[in-house]
Parts: sequence; C-alpha cells; structure tokens
Amino acid sequence: MAHTQELRTLIARELPNLDLVLAWTGGFDPLSSTPLFITTEADLDRLAVGPMHVQNLAAYLPSLKGRKVGIVTRGCDSRTITELLQENLINRDEVVIFGIGCTGAVNIRKVRTAVNGAPVTDVEIGDDVLTVTTGEETHALRLQDVLMDKCYTCAGQAPRMHDHMVSERSGCLATGETPPSSLDLLEGMDARERFAFWEGHMDRCIRCYACRNACPLCVCKDSCVAQSRDPHWVDQSDTPREKLMFQAIHALHTAGRCTECGECERACPMGIPILAMKQALNRRIKHLFDYEAGMDQESTPPLFMFRQQEETIKERDAR
Amino acid sequence: MSTARFLKARDIAPWLEELGREYTVLAPTRHGDTVVFREFEPERGIELDRLSTTPAKKALLPPCETLFEYATTKTDTPPYRTSIELRPTLPEGKILLFGTRPCDARAMQIFDRVYDGEQVKDPYYTARRNAATIVTLACSGQAGTCFCDRVGGSPVDATGSDVLLTPLKAGYVAEALTEKGMELMRDTAFMKADGLRQEALNVRNRILEEVPERTSFLDMERNLLSLFGDLGFWDKTAESCLSCGACTYLCPTCYCFNITDEPHGDSGKRIRTWDNCMSSQFTLEGSGHNPRPTKAHRMRNRIGHKFSYYPQLHDKTLACVGCGRCISNCPVSFDIRNAVACAIQHAAANAQEHAHD
Amino acid sequence: MTSNPPNVYLPDMATIQEVIQETPAIKTFRVTLNNADRMQAFSFEPGQVGQLSVIGVGESTFVINSPPTRKEYLQFSVMKVGELTSRLHTLKAGDQIGVRAPLGNAFPYDSMRGRDIVFVGGGIGMAPLRTLLLYMLDNRAEYGKITLLYGARSPHDMAFSYEVEEWLQRDDMHTVLTVDNGTPEWQHKVGLIPNILKEIGPSPENAVAVTCGPPIMIKFTVQALQELGFGDEQIVTTLEKRMKCGVGICGRCNIGSSYVCKDGPVYTLAQLKELPGEM
Repeated sequence: MAHTQELRTLIARELPNLDLVLAWTGGFDPLSSTPLFITTEADLDRLAVGPMHVQNLAAYLPSLKGRKVGIVTRGCDSRTITELLQENLINRDEVVIFGIGCTGAVNIRKVRTAVNGAPVTDVEIGDDVLTVTTGEETHALRLQDVLMDKCYTCAGQAPRMHDHMVSERSGCLATGETPPSSLDLLEGMDARERFAFWEGHMDRCIRCYACRNACPLCVCKDSCVAQSRDPHWVDQSDTPREKLMFQAIHALHTAGRCTECGECERACPMGIPILAMKQALNRRIKHLFDYEAGMDQESTPPLFMFRQQEETIKERDAR
Repeated sequence: MSTARFLKARDIAPWLEELGREYTVLAPTRHGDTVVFREFEPERGIELDRLSTTPAKKALLPPCETLFEYATTKTDTPPYRTSIELRPTLPEGKILLFGTRPCDARAMQIFDRVYDGEQVKDPYYTARRNAATIVTLACSGQAGTCFCDRVGGSPVDATGSDVLLTPLKAGYVAEALTEKGMELMRDTAFMKADGLRQEALNVRNRILEEVPERTSFLDMERNLLSLFGDLGFWDKTAESCLSCGACTYLCPTCYCFNITDEPHGDSGKRIRTWDNCMSSQFTLEGSGHNPRPTKAHRMRNRIGHKFSYYPQLHDKTLACVGCGRCISNCPVSFDIRNAVACAIQHAAANAQEHAHD
Repeated sequence: MTSNPPNVYLPDMATIQEVIQETPAIKTFRVTLNNADRMQAFSFEPGQVGQLSVIGVGESTFVINSPPTRKEYLQFSVMKVGELTSRLHTLKAGDQIGVRAPLGNAFPYDSMRGRDIVFVGGGIGMAPLRTLLLYMLDNRAEYGKITLLYGARSPHDMAFSYEVEEWLQRDDMHTVLTVDNGTPEWQHKVGLIPNILKEIGPSPENAVAVTCGPPIMIKFTVQALQELGFGDEQIVTTLEKRMKCGVGICGRCNIGSSYVCKDGPVYTLAQLKELPGEM
C-alpha cells in the first residue's frame, strides 16, 4: 500500500502544526472501518485507506471549529468541505486537506446483504471483483454492483481543493453501466405507490437519528425540530407518518446544500434508502437553478439568497 | 429441564399462525435488508438464521406506548370551568415472543429488576411481562461482534426464557424452563422426544466449546468508578461518536424513555417513547443547564450505567448482554468492547499510580 | 397472578386554589387534589417533590414547599424557564393540573433535631428550604439556633417576601438577606451569597447547613461552608434534575448509580462525593 505510506509521511510532516488529523482505521471486521483521530505519530501506524474506509470525515469539521484540523479527503468529501466553507461553518485556514485519489467506495450494506449477513472473516479487492470470505464460504462480488450510489455519478476522484496530495493512485472501480438507484425506482412510481413505498420502509425506522447526526450539513444540532416542543411539528408517536415527516424536513433543509455524500443512508442501521429524497430535491434544484452543491466555494447556494429574476426560471408572462 | 419435545422446522409457521388466535405472536422476520421482531404473519416468513437487527425488547417495552388518554371539556355556562378526564391504557392480551436469542432473553431479566422491582412496579411493563411467554433459540455459534461470554452469558444461556430451543437437523429440541413454557409445550406441534434431551445437551456443549477464552467484563464496577473523574479519558473514548441513538435503540438492555404529551385539539395522549442518553437533549434542563453537556459525559454515563452503576445496584449483574448490535450497527463502528477493556486497563493504571503516591 | 400495582404514571387531578405572584419570574400555586379522600390521606416529608402536569403540555418536577404540618393545600413555586413552566404561569385559580406526589427522599430532619441549622438559599432555591424551615418553626423547641441566609439577584427577585418580613421580626431565628444588585430602598446586604455567608460566619459546632440554589451558587456556597469548618456530613443540599418518570426508571436524572428522583433530591456532601461529578 504505497499510497498509505505516502499519506503517513505527509501527515507526519504536518502533524506538529495541527491539533489532530481525521483519517480512518480498520473496524470490528474486514468490512468495517472507523474514524481515526490522529494526535501522535504512533497513531499513524493504525491509519488505513481504501474502498472500505467510507465515513465522510468532513462531518466532524463543524464541531472542531476553532481547532487546527487535518483531514484525509476524497473527491466527493471535498464537496462537503466546499459547502461547509460556503456556509461559513468552518474556516479554511483552520483546515489542512490531505487529498487522496479515490478508487471508489464500497457500499458495505450491499456486501453484507449479498453474503446474507454471515460473519465476514476476510475481504480481498481485485481489479473488478470483491472476494468476501464468510467462514468456509467465499463470495465473488462484482465491484460494479456493490459501490456506493455516489460512485456512479462521481465528479472526480481527487479532492477539488487540497493542501497536500498523495501522488500514487490507481484506477476507478466503477466501470460500465450504473445499477438502478432507489431514486430511479421511485421516479417510475405514481404518487400512491411512492407513498406506500415510504410507509413500508419507515415502518422499521427506529428514530435513532443516525441519518441526521451523520449528515455533515445537519448543523442545527441540539435545536432540531425532530424533538422540539416549540414548534411542535413532529409528534413523538412512532408512526410511519411522523417518521416520514422528519425525513421530509431533513430533505428540504438540505435541498441545494446536500452533496449526496450518502452518509444519511450509510448511517441508517435499518437500511432505509433515504438518500433518494435528497437526490430527488437536488434534481429539482439542478433543474430550477442549474446548481450543484459543493462545487464552487465562491458561489452562494440558491436557497441562501433571493433574486427577483432567477436566470433559469421562466416567469409566467404577466400580460 | 423437565421435559424435552421436538419441534420440526416446517411446523413452526403453521403453529405460530395457529397461536396467533390466542397470542400476539412476535417473531424475527425480514424487513428490507434487516431482520426485525414484528407480528408474525405467514407471508412475512420467519428468519432464524441470524441475529435480528432489532432486539426483542419491544415485546415488553414498545418504542411508543400510550400511558393515558385525556379529554378536556369546558362547561358552557359561567364560570366556564374546565374538567380533564384521564383514561389509563394498560396493555391486555397474551404475548408469545418466538425466536429470541439467549442475549435478548437475558436482557428481559435486566429490565425486571428495574421495572418490576421491590419498591416500584411499572404497571404497563408488568402487565406485558406477566402475559409474555418467551421461546428462545440457542445460537449455533458467535458472530464476530458477539461477546455474551464476556458479560455473564453464553450462546446457549437459558436465563429469562420460558422455553429453550436447541437446533438439531430438521428442527429443534424444546425444553421448558418455567410453568409458562410447560403450558406452551402441551401444544400438539411439539412431539414427545425425551430421548433427544441428551443429544440437545451435547449440541449445546459443543457450541460452548467453540467459545473462545477471553477476559471478562464482570466485577469491574468499582474499578471503573475510579475512572469517572478522568474526563480526558472519556473525551478520547467518545471522539468519533456522532451522538445518535443507533446503539441505544438497538440495545436489548437500554430501557430509558421519554414522556411527552401529544395533543390533538381538546384531547390527546401522554406517551412514553424510547429515549437516548447519547443525545444532549436527554438531560437538558428548562433553564439551559445541562449536567451532561458533552458526548464525553454521555459516553461515561452509558458505559458507566452498563458496567458499573447497574451492577452496583443489582447484585453485580451487568446491564449488557454482549449481543454486539451497538458495534455492528454504529455508523462509525464504535466498539464498546474496546472502550470497556481500555477503561478497565486505564482504571488499573490509575490505581497503580495512586498506590505509588 | 398478582393484582395490578398502582399506576405510578397516572397523576391525581387537582384544582388550583390560589396563585401568588412572588416575583416577575416566580409564581406560587396552592392546589388541592380533586379526590377529597386522597387529599385527606396525603402525607409527605419536608424535601419531597411532586410532578406537576399541564395536561397536553407535559410534566415537570417541583418541591412541595408547604410544610407537612400545614395540610389545607399543597404549595409549589414555579420559576418560568421553559415550555411547561410558561404554561403553568398562564393558569389561574380554578384551573386543573395533574399532580404525582410525593416523590423522592426528604431532608434528614430527624437527625437534625437538637442541632443548630444554617439555611442558605439562592433564588428559587429558597422553595425547598421554606418547607423545612416552616416545619422547624412549627416544631421550634426541637431545634437549636436557626440562621437563614437568603439571596436573590435583586430585591424584586426575592420570593416569599410576605413571609420574609415575618422571619426578620422573629427573635427565635436569625435572618439575613442579600442581593447581587441593590436599590436605594434596599436595607439589607448587597453581595454574593458565599461571601455574605463567610461574613456571618456561622459556627459548625453541632450544626447542619442546608443549601439550595443554582448549580454555580451551590458550588461556591459549599466551598464557603468548608472554609468555615463544616464537614461533608454537615452539608446538605437538594438537587434539581430533569426528570420524567419520577420513580427511578427512565434514566435521565441519575448521577452515577443514584437516581435523584428516587434516592434524592436531598444529599449530603459526603454522599455526593461518592458519585461522578455531574451536577
């Protein structure tokens, strides 16, 4: 793993000037990973980077504002950083970006489902095949089928901005045709079918708010309407209706801000395809304002401003 | 265990369907990519091959439960007094919980000490508890995140169960542990099979032999207490935590709840819902003061409650059954085993340092 | 099968008999349970708390600040801070509220017999002290010297002013009042409670200090008491925490293994030192 070694060297050089560096390390099994908060050189031994190291570390940045933080960043996650900068939620001079060229991120849930939830003892990544061992059995999964949604619409493997960049890189794991997403599925439904789809999925929502807390742009933190009594928009009853109400609020609140990093859906322990809601709103934002979140630090998110005449919205003729 | 009977795998679904007339039958079924406990319906099938994503606790502690309904009426002549009528809604009916794992069943006894204690009895909980029969399926082995053996349990532990099922080929040997279990096993779905008792025992022993030798988390309640002044340790432990509730809601032993009033016009209900001690709002007071203001405080309380506070109050029983759901479902793969092991080590180091003072 | 246990979550409905505007932010409610038999049989000890409900809004915990020796009503004083207390403040005599009481433990008033008592109350923290003070005044001969130091932010933030006047007049207790910010008319002390306490300098000899107030005031009052020579067993405080169930189950008011709603709210400093510092 030459690029991991290169990354270690880059971080070690910068570490004396930083309070901490956000990176990844392995988790409880070969498929899982966990964020690593590097404060000493000894921590670097545990650093690991690869398609299974999937958390969007930029989610921690707003809560670390005021400290000097290094962050290991892929292309997609750098869009989150851009968006956070656009919204003044972090300061550029407090963040040092260690860029890596991403080869694709594995959708861990898809892999676990493909092996029927069996305990995973080994994982090997080939050129286009993921070989997963569960005890006696080996499963060969086509990588193309088990990447995260965002990989199929990737806007660039390398971060859009960086302070240091790992030069060593390899190709992209996403090749060939894109498997249909939940959003594709939903767009083929009529309103009644769509509601039934969400009612079915929301039935198993446990309201843990992992989706909200993992979202790097959910910064209302302790004043979230999900629990507030004033306004009392969401009832604590655990009906699909109330749960869906929260998801609708979340999606609307991140419309035109969401970079589709997929943390909400990845974090959901119940595997509810909630990213589709944000994707749906982003499609409309793209259509109405010709805007994509987190692409340009100098631009203002469309719902952050008011223009009498929107360039891409055709006003009704008043005559 | 008094009697042993045999339950054929293919007889389970029809039997549960039949029982559905008398009981609310809860069993693990697939739901999307997850496995959840919910009311058994033949078309949903039953999933016994792996540990369910959600624990079985909802049978005794539903995620949302009405404590009472209320209705407000106003007199329409002076002096326009308002009167409020409260109608408590205690649960009724028998519950059959089928296919729990030993960890989940053991967790029920952890609830009992709190909800059905000497001083206080929770009427909603005890109504469900008394009406529930729990049929547990012994695990054939441990998953990577399992650690029941380190917290006082085992993959074949029968604690908290009314019936224990041991898997054999084509079915299960059922053994009753309580009067309720015996009553259930009178059903014709169970075939007489006293001869299989020894075989079931052998199977369980083989499963136990597979359990690795590793350090236990028992008897650490005092040691851990010495670490509670060291907030720096908890800061480091909690750094990656997102303060969501995946761990607490999927924990079979987490039992904290919230109570809220949900009005609809002049009437409404007071409900209690699962709550999450990892959220800052959990202890936030009306004045804005928060006794657990950071995730370090909250992590200390969560681990403290399970491995120190609860065992101090309840005969050294840990409030953790080692199911590992908090690990496998955490968005950042926080591993409570490492955290506790680290805390124990740290506490020991602190103690040694003090000894040298 | 055992018979159903009493429903600990079901409030008694009660009628507000009188509302007293103590200060701009504090109102006192005198209530009676609607069920006359339950009201007649109601008994509690000084320091115990109750959960007051505005049905449809929620519940919150308040100390019963009338003494057990006076039984015609239950008195609660409420400072307006959040959703529930704001709604309580809109209620008038004749309105209905829910009461779950008594809950929690009491002041160790038995072991205080024969000893000198030093009360140190700040703001709304005077409410729980009032209960014990009135109880002691109703059983005056059983207690030694009684000193009361009561402080508030300003003269008009001082609750129970009608009683404070009487306490100042009594010759069987020593009452000292202080405010952080005085007015030209203010004839008492101006200064922070811990400082005034050191100035009064009560003797720790055969004495018990009872203190309640905002967390920061308690912290510095405890330090002042320690400087005066009060031991950990001689310092008693009563805590306020966010509570829901009130019976030691729901899990939010605990400090370590102790549940403030059930094992508290009254603790000696010696007891608190055994628990993690989560005030």
